[in-house]
Amino acid sequence: MTNFNIILFLCGWGPHAAYQTLQDNGSDIPPEIKMVRIPCTGRISKALLFKPFEMGADGVVLAGCEPGSCRYGTGTNTALNNVEDTRGILDLLGLGEDRLRLVTFLPDEPEALLEFLTDFVSEIKGIGKSPVVPPHKKTPLVGVDDLIKQTVVAYDVYTCLDCGKCTSACPLTLAGKPFSPRAIASTIISGNIDSPSVQNDIWACLTCGLCYERCPSAVNFPEFIRDIRHILKKSGSNGHAAHGGFFQSLMRTMTSPDLKIKHWEWLPEEIRTDDKSKTLFFGGCAPYFDIFFRNHLGVKTRKILVDSLRLLNFFDIRPAVLDDERCCGHDLLWSGDKENFLKLARLNVDAIHRMGVQEIIIGCPEGYRTFVHDYPEHGIECNFKVTHIFELLEREIDKGAVGFKKFNRKLTFQDPCRMSRFENCADLPRKLINRLNLKGFTEMQDRETGAICCGNCAWIGCDSFSKAMQVKRIGQVHDTESDLLVTACPKCQIHLQCAMEDPFLGEELDTKMMDLTSVLAKTIQWE
Amino acid sequence: MTEQKDIKQEIVITGFGGQGIVLAGRILGEAVVLGDHRQSTLVQSYGPEARGGACSAEVMISDEPIQYPYVRHPDILICMSQSGYDKFIEQLKPEGTLIIDHDLVKPRGIDRTFFSIPCTRMAEELGRVMMANIVMLGFFTAITKAVSLESARNAVLESVPKGTEETNTAAFNKGHDYGLAVLKGREKKATGKAGA
Repeated sequence: MTNFNIILFLCGWGPHAAYQTLQDNGSDIPPEIKMVRIPCTGRISKALLFKPFEMGADGVVLAGCEPGSCRYGTGTNTALNNVEDTRGILDLLGLGEDRLRLVTFLPDEPEALLEFLTDFVSEIKGIGKSPVVPPHKKTPLVGVDDLIKQTVVAYDVYTCLDCGKCTSACPLTLAGKPFSPRAIASTIISGNIDSPSVQNDIWACLTCGLCYERCPSAVNFPEFIRDIRHILKKSGSNGHAAHGGFFQSLMRTMTSPDLKIKHWEWLPEEIRTDDKSKTLFFGGCAPYFDIFFRNHLGVKTRKILVDSLRLLNFFDIRPAVLDDERCCGHDLLWSGDKENFLKLARLNVDAIHRMGVQEIIIGCPEGYRTFVHDYPEHGIECNFKVTHIFELLEREIDKGAVGFKKFNRKLTFQDPCRMSRFENCADLPRKLINRLNLKGFTEMQDRETGAICCGNCAWIGCDSFSKAMQVKRIGQVHDTESDLLVTACPKCQIHLQCAMEDPFLGEELDTKMMDLTSVLAKTIQWE
Repeated sequence: MTEQKDIKQEIVITGFGGQGIVLAGRILGEAVVLGDHRQSTLVQSYGPEARGGACSAEVMISDEPIQYPYVRHPDILICMSQSGYDKFIEQLKPEGTLIIDHDLVKPRGIDRTFFSIPCTRMAEELGRVMMANIVMLGFFTAITKAVSLESARNAVLESVPKGTEETNTAAFNKGHDYGLAVLKGREKKATGKAGA
């Protein structure tokens, strides 16, 4: 037996016939190859292509039909895009794009197929074993009811007055979804965690925190939901992940300590960083988003990181960056996987401590919240100061001699939940916006701590109601008669952009978006 | 600007009576003498100034004993009022440094570079317009380096009324940070990189 594992996704039409010929002839198919027969390469999403790597596979082959010979017409083209994107992600992760390959074979090419498989196996052996640690088998959770009860007590959900302020504020409810925080609370209190509506609704909550903001009894509903999710996840709930669970899969893969992640290799040359600096810039997952959404949304959230670094350079700050920076774990924590969240947190914090850094600067609101709040709360000590980039910019700009070029746009601002509501920092971006030299700035109807979420959180529970909510939010943008929607979180850009892709409403919703960091970097100047 | 040791520097601070012009001069002199262990003299103008007219403080800084304390042609001129500016601008040496309050002084009739800081406005934002002179001292320290930062900050702490140390230190730092930012901005502009 061999200890290498290579997954072959084999299309049932063209290449499978060739493979069958090999089997019939008793050919020497390398034993490392584990074949999975599939209906069409186009059906293998990025999540499915990536899943084997999370499970510890050393290589993956997607074998299909040549373009033009696809039984379903567009399968091969879809596969091309999916494979290209997944290869990009593998590269960033340091696994290397060569571990994933898309090939096409006709039914009468068994020899070519065999030759390819043999070559690929030796190539993978040359690259070596995958450093990914496969997840261990989960042991089923016992005493779920007791754990639920403890969580109810911990968040004192009993103080719920059943007044319904939460439901009347919940953006999902207002978008028409049959969803009610107080109903979830009372069902769980009465011991009916297994009720189908609760089992679904737990994963639909945006954890945006608007209900907590309004709750007269101060029941921290988002964190309550978060902890209930951990229990349900451990007891086998599937978690309603969006994008086929790709992002959760990616984050879990990052928990392998031996990965040689290449988070910053793409950074433009003019950006000046310094490994010995006592200040570190923690970027966040934007590079992965840009690859994943390359064809669908065309978002460019990586630009936010570049612009953040350009702004730091502008003030002669040359920060260090963490080459093997991992996801902060925010989305795992909020989608019910505390175990892997803790692994990511430890890996990140240990790596930062090893660099001897005194202060880290974060641009992503979720990352900021996670570092300042969730790490300490979960017992992960950080011996460094955490500063949001807006804090630092405000401090530096306030020293004076800095001005802003005329920016001929009318702006409005989408608050990120994690900053404006959770960390109560709604004034921070506004101070900066007020410094800009603009044509105008108009607030949306719902703003600051009362702002509406961009439509999704932690890559779970996305549905038509999320969309309805986003459409409503973009309507509020248009009501301000602004011509630029300024955001402060890469996720806000991704989710609102997704709403704008609607084939029926698309043009009506079309709105220009820009991150506040980019607006600042574009217009800032020494006076 | 580089450290200007072994050179005699003549400084005139001018403004309205009540702006703390004389106090600024005294703090500067004390910083130089007590902190930097150099020589300094102060001549203050008496008279109707104390009722709100033009007012000035003449400060000399030197490594050698100072024989004559009156300033004829200042190396550094700090103006916190228009009348002070009009009165002294002709006396400033051609290569001298001019520092003005951005909002209170319009530098008319000259063709030279100068430094300006909205120190009165900054002091107002910090809560006490009286601290404009301290903001200006911070700015002066950053721009001219005629006195060391440490000495200037200590001298401010020694001279201000008890209980206002914190706000005055904030005012001094505000001016100093602004000065450093202005210098950095000029340096960046000179290399043609004004933007991010």
